[in-house]
Amino acid sequence: MTSPTDIGAATQQDGDEGGAPEPFGLGSSPLRSDALPKALGIYPYAADLWAEGLLWGAVLRSPHPHARIKGIDTSAALALPGVHAVVTAADLPPGPDGTPDGAPAGPIVADRPVLAAGVVRHHGEPVAAVAADHPDTARLAVGLIAVEYEPLEAVTDPEQSFTAPPLHPDGNLFRHLPLRCGDPEAVGEIVVEGLYQVGRQDPAPLGAEAGLAVPRPDGGVELHLSSTDPHGDRDRTAACLGLEPDRVRLVVTGVPGATSDREDLSFQVTLALLALRTGRPVKMTLTREESFHTHTSRHPALLRYRHHADAEGTLVKVEAQILLDGGAYADVSAEALAAATAFSAGPYVCPNVFVDAWAVRTNNPPAGQMRGEGALQACFAYESQLDQLAARVGVDPVEIRRRNAMATGDPLPTGQAVTCPAPVAALLEAVAAEPLPALPVDDPDAEWLLPGGPGGAGDPAAVRRGIGYAVGMVHMLGAEGEDEVSTATVRVSGDHATVICAAVDSGQGFATLARQIVQSVLGVSEVYIAPADSDQSIAGPSARGRHTWVSGGAVERAALMVRHQLLQPIAANFGMSVELLQIADGKITSYDGVLGMPVAEALEGKELWATAQCRPHPTEPLDESGQGDAFVSIAFCAMRAVVDVDIELGTVRVVEMTVAQDVGRALNPRQIEDRIEAGVAQGVGLALLEDLRTEGGVLQNPSLTGYRLPTALDTPEVRIAALLEERDVVATFGAKAVSAVPAVVSPAAVAAAVRAATGLPVGRLPIRPEDAVAG
Amino acid sequence: MLPASLDEAVDALAAAPAAVPVAGATDLMEAVNAGRLRPAALIGLGRITELRGWRYEDGGTAVLGAGLTHARMDRPDFAALIPALADAARTAGPPQVRNVGTLGGNIVTAAPAGDTLPVLAALEATVTLARAGATREVPVSHLLTGLDPVRPGELLTWVRVPLLHAPQVFLKATGRSGPARATASVALVLDPARRAVRCAVGAVAPVPLRPLEAEAWVAGCIDWDGSREIDPAATAAFGEYVAAACVPDGYGAEGAWEAVTEGPSAASVRLRRTVSVLARRALGRALK
Repeated sequence: MTSPTDIGAATQQDGDEGGAPEPFGLGSSPLRSDALPKALGIYPYAADLWAEGLLWGAVLRSPHPHARIKGIDTSAALALPGVHAVVTAADLPPGPDGTPDGAPAGPIVADRPVLAAGVVRHHGEPVAAVAADHPDTARLAVGLIAVEYEPLEAVTDPEQSFTAPPLHPDGNLFRHLPLRCGDPEAVGEIVVEGLYQVGRQDPAPLGAEAGLAVPRPDGGVELHLSSTDPHGDRDRTAACLGLEPDRVRLVVTGVPGATSDREDLSFQVTLALLALRTGRPVKMTLTREESFHTHTSRHPALLRYRHHADAEGTLVKVEAQILLDGGAYADVSAEALAAATAFSAGPYVCPNVFVDAWAVRTNNPPAGQMRGEGALQACFAYESQLDQLAARVGVDPVEIRRRNAMATGDPLPTGQAVTCPAPVAALLEAVAAEPLPALPVDDPDAEWLLPGGPGGAGDPAAVRRGIGYAVGMVHMLGAEGEDEVSTATVRVSGDHATVICAAVDSGQGFATLARQIVQSVLGVSEVYIAPADSDQSIAGPSARGRHTWVSGGAVERAALMVRHQLLQPIAANFGMSVELLQIADGKITSYDGVLGMPVAEALEGKELWATAQCRPHPTEPLDESGQGDAFVSIAFCAMRAVVDVDIELGTVRVVEMTVAQDVGRALNPRQIEDRIEAGVAQGVGLALLEDLRTEGGVLQNPSLTGYRLPTALDTPEVRIAALLEERDVVATFGAKAVSAVPAVVSPAAVAAAVRAATGLPVGRLPIRPEDAVAG
Repeated sequence: MLPASLDEAVDALAAAPAAVPVAGATDLMEAVNAGRLRPAALIGLGRITELRGWRYEDGGTAVLGAGLTHARMDRPDFAALIPALADAARTAGPPQVRNVGTLGGNIVTAAPAGDTLPVLAALEATVTLARAGATREVPVSHLLTGLDPVRPGELLTWVRVPLLHAPQVFLKATGRSGPARATASVALVLDPARRAVRCAVGAVAPVPLRPLEAEAWVAGCIDWDGSREIDPAATAAFGEYVAAACVPDGYGAEGAWEAVTEGPSAASVRLRRTVSVLARRALGRALK
């Protein structure tokens, strides 16, 4: 691992020793402030919220993936003692254009009803909700609501969606994105083809959705939720309730680690509606099963690829058809499709790329945002193709990638030049150069963890080791013209500073980073991060690795403004420019050492405030042939997976993942390593375990027993070969987002390794035991 | 209700036959929380210390308390006694579950993938069902198949397991390295005194299955007087035999196209391969 050389590097090692001062500033590795409470189980999650006299909410969900609602009878539920309100779509205020049954909601495209009206389009869609004085009463009342359904034929195969009758007034096609780049007639000497399939991964946050709504005297409502986009959620909630946005306040509380949007609009609008209806605080905590129903999952995908290359393996043309199953509602399918299309050829130079990509509506659960949506599915396909190509050309998988690797300045198939650092070849070299883990034969005395786990059925004689490589990419920040902006306020008073920014720390470590930024700029060790709520200025959602860049940038600018305010009078006093003064360890010193004044003294009891915004350069939508500068910046990562496969039982154990990542600049090395480990765990989960199965649109395994999240035994050793620090000049601090790209690349690397161990063409994720049985 | 002794528990159950006895509650509370079960009352068995251990009986039998936890069964002293049961207990779930989940609970829940069940079936264990003033012995397999179910007011108290003083193996196939539900499991015990091999396959059917013919055949292939050696080909054939006996042709083919095609379904081919590998490896380890 490269070591950081910037501010605070000297104190970095100290942090690990007992009694040493807390690590300080950018480049150091302080611990997240919520790490200890979360590990000890004393962190207050949204489910722990309480208000005097609160009522309990519960939701009735559709048992059918597709059905017409012929009638809802709530009288029996209302008659139950203890029930205070029962609401259905008819209780929602009409939409802005006068549509009855409430305005539909959703990010990008608002097509999802808060409560189903007339028709249900997926299993688990909310139909009605109850507020009662006890959670059990609420659930009993939900059971008493009589809904008459007329089941309709469910469209669950995305390929059937094109010809099926429309499932929604908006039609069945969310987006068709053709990409035309280069010469369609070009052919290569070597042609490899493949069909790839990716299953449905769920973010499965351990903290299930929960929240508390409190009615306000002014007719508005205050929502306490673990939202990751307080302003977006506030605006959408207000729109659905027919309220002005400033009548709704959203207080962010108890956010568990979130690897996707935590937003479930239906949940929060229903909660707010129940509170407004009853005039009392209403709390709702979803069960594990409901949690699986309510949040969006990763897009299941079908990808058909054909790569043309010359005899040396240099890419000539890539042709692809990509089909994403968006489920019942649009959500961010259009955006995921753009990433899948733009990155369809991977981090390789290819002059001719022809892609047709579709995102379609089905009666499956809705798919949405989840680490590297779109980019992940494409990565599995193009990396599998590169392995096939390597085998056909007769070269090493690393060599074939090196021959085609993209570098800074090379164009994407969308015509956009990759102006940020693109150290693809260097990342590959770094992972390939790392030593391999020992084989059981080298160290027979050690106790080997075989596939199947300790005490399992694994047999050393049937275990084969495989090594696979993959490289991938993902964009940072919103794409295709999305307005990316964040606002932050920094205040200094006495010996401490405060950061007020509505950027939610969803586990990505923004709170820690904001503290480090202010420490570096202002030299103040004590930095307080105010909790986020929607009364603060807008910071945007916690997604696509944007907060390090936009909110980090806003915090830095605000801190610099405060610094200027602080130093200007002193500099003027001493007749020197501000640049000649520096702040460290709570003291202001001049370049010559003459001046040495504590910050608190310089403040003279004043409070200094500054607010700043950060808005990166704009992007543009992809046009009708998939061309355009759609992305702000791109992060790259290379991985090597080492797996052991019991080829008789098909059980796979990932022994080690070696990672080299392009981070721009390591602002908090420990946090980066944590994020890489988290991404690898999620990627390995998708590669081998996690599959939210549906049967005719009905969820089969909405529980943590049925939906297998990786445990400590399933998660491999993660070896960081390199964090390449080549500054991205346009990014804040030159740093790139780090969370998404490890999740994007690791499934492809695991698949390559399983292929190497078994000799089987692994074309489907997750890899089931029956896909890895060889011989 | 929290009875402190077995007698109190049995009396409590007699007084309130609709009450549900609860030990580790790892299955029960999950059902209660999910709203699938609303017991009229619960009788907590946690304070009955006598059920948490085991004792020996003449004739080489261990009498195991129904309140033995999986974690306790995994300890070396117990593993030396009934190795296959210890293996099953060790892989039964995450530590949190094994610390409270009990042997009796595993039997009464009778989940198809219950890990101790094939072991108890292979050992031909019996259980003691106690009610006020009377007890009766029922073979585990009769209890599981419903041939002789637990009657109202009865409490499962003891599990009688013969001590065989010979190798025993429990193997389970899962899709992961961490604790997981078995897709198939095989328990295999040697009974040198009777020159028998007993085997049970778990998780492929609602109850553990015994491939009796395969057991009898393979017992004849073993050199019992010598070093208990067996021809590797016979081990492999035993695997196939067990798999064919326990997995029907139409496995997993409900209404699917596979139901109308001839021969075994794809699902049954896959499961047979898994069961066959497990049975072969189990026999190989037992005779090693």
